[in-house]
Amino acid sequence: MSETTDTTETRTDGGTGIVPPDDETPTWSERKARRVGLSRLTYEYFERARREDQDLREESSYVERDVLGFPAWPHEMIRNLALSSFFVGMIIFLSATLPPHIAAPANPSQTPSIILPDWYLYWSFGLLKLGPLNPDLAILGGQKLMADRTYGVIANIVVVSIIAIVPFLNKGSARRPVEQPFWAAVGIAGATFAVTISALSIKNIIGSILDPHLLFDLTFLLPIATGCVAYAVLKTMREGYMYDLNRRYYRLRPPK
Amino acid sequence: MSIERKDDHDHVAWIEETDLTPVEQTFLVTLVWMDKRFRIVDYLEILETLYYRINLQMPKSHTEQYNLDNKFWYWYPLYALGSFSTLAYVVAAISGALLGFYYAPATTGDPSTAYNSITFIMTQLNFGYMLRSIHRWSAQVMTAAVFLHMLRVYFTGAYKEPREVNWIIGILLISLTMVFGYTGYLLPWDQLSFWASQIGVEMSLSIPMIGEWVAQLMFGGFAPSAATLQRMYILHVFLLPFVVTTLIAVHIGIVWIQGIAEPH
Repeated sequence: MSETTDTTETRTDGGTGIVPPDDETPTWSERKARRVGLSRLTYEYFERARREDQDLREESSYVERDVLGFPAWPHEMIRNLALSSFFVGMIIFLSATLPPHIAAPANPSQTPSIILPDWYLYWSFGLLKLGPLNPDLAILGGQKLMADRTYGVIANIVVVSIIAIVPFLNKGSARRPVEQPFWAAVGIAGATFAVTISALSIKNIIGSILDPHLLFDLTFLLPIATGCVAYAVLKTMREGYMYDLNRRYYRLRPPK
Repeated sequence: MSIERKDDHDHVAWIEETDLTPVEQTFLVTLVWMDKRFRIVDYLEILETLYYRINLQMPKSHTEQYNLDNKFWYWYPLYALGSFSTLAYVVAAISGALLGFYYAPATTGDPSTAYNSITFIMTQLNFGYMLRSIHRWSAQVMTAAVFLHMLRVYFTGAYKEPREVNWIIGILLISLTMVFGYTGYLLPWDQLSFWASQIGVEMSLSIPMIGEWVAQLMFGGFAPSAATLQRMYILHVFLLPFVVTTLIAVHIGIVWIQGIAEPH
């Protein structure tokens, strides 16, 4: 910046910066008047800064809405407090109506007939019961490559890893399930599998209703079925969705 | 040609072309420098700002900005699940801290100190059963909310491109939540606790190569014992709270930085 001014202006002062006074040179009283005006200078700068903000806002493509802002206090805060109180109240209501019971004390010499973790670990417990899927090798004379319980623990790790790598497989800006029927179907199948594998883990309890072998088969067939149904439904929905999008597009920009 | 944009908002050029005394020059340069960083304009003119603040306009939401048909995303209530799990975590932390006053993780005594303290809390302590009930239910609700939160994030594609790290942290958090639950229901040292820890020990033992080492580290032996209860207690009330609270803070901080992935 300074270089360009240097090249355009001819310097006559020999580089000292001292020039003889001319008509344009401010008098000492003028200089003094300006020096005391720091507040005026501040004002001047703030005016410039504000004009800059204004200009930037006007030339930005960011659309502003035509309604007044929704104040954080009291509106937003009251809404948040209401939601939070309702939620905490729900917990307290549940705890008052359904208190936990006191189970029998630990007894190492007596194994209970049914051992189950809390419901949120059923899926993991179900994965431990995948013994029948553990492949055996003909070379080893029908012997299994690893113990059933090792297989179950590895199944846990595999499931968690598959969930973890999803964002590295599925990229792009699509957000709605209709836009990506395949990935939505995978999600539906996964959620169904979480339910069915949990059901498998309590096969001792629901064994009287459902044949354990049927349950084992359903554990893997149901997720595939729901996945296929979800895929078909979403694929059909996408046709209508794309039709709407295209219609809107061509209404805005009619073909020539 | 210079890359820098030259417009009438080039304050440096303005200062240079204005005839100023050294004092003014220094003052103005300092003012501009500070204002650029801390927006002093906003603070010094706060009265004026307060007046205009009433007419401040909010930016449009994603759906409005892109003029989408669906002005109200009807899955929006599901976006509260993350907050709800955090809230349940806070409730569990408070009730858990209060329970900690009355609980002792020891297997000595008849049937055991741990079991006796649970019985005491449930039957004799004022509001004791309510306290334990709240702790238990907030844990259940938190786990459920976290599961549903994960489903919501999956089906609205909120885990995508810039948010992979938060998805991984989320998986870590859901796993740790379940470990929280597991270590939690071992503490009463009833039949479920004993045999669940037995399963835990067997699961660690079945890990190839390092199985025995893991069993020793996590459960303090190859069968459920006093050491197991002690370790589960320390995991539940000391290690996990620090780790999980930090991870939740990072998780929410990243959401704050990256913004909520609104579907479109």
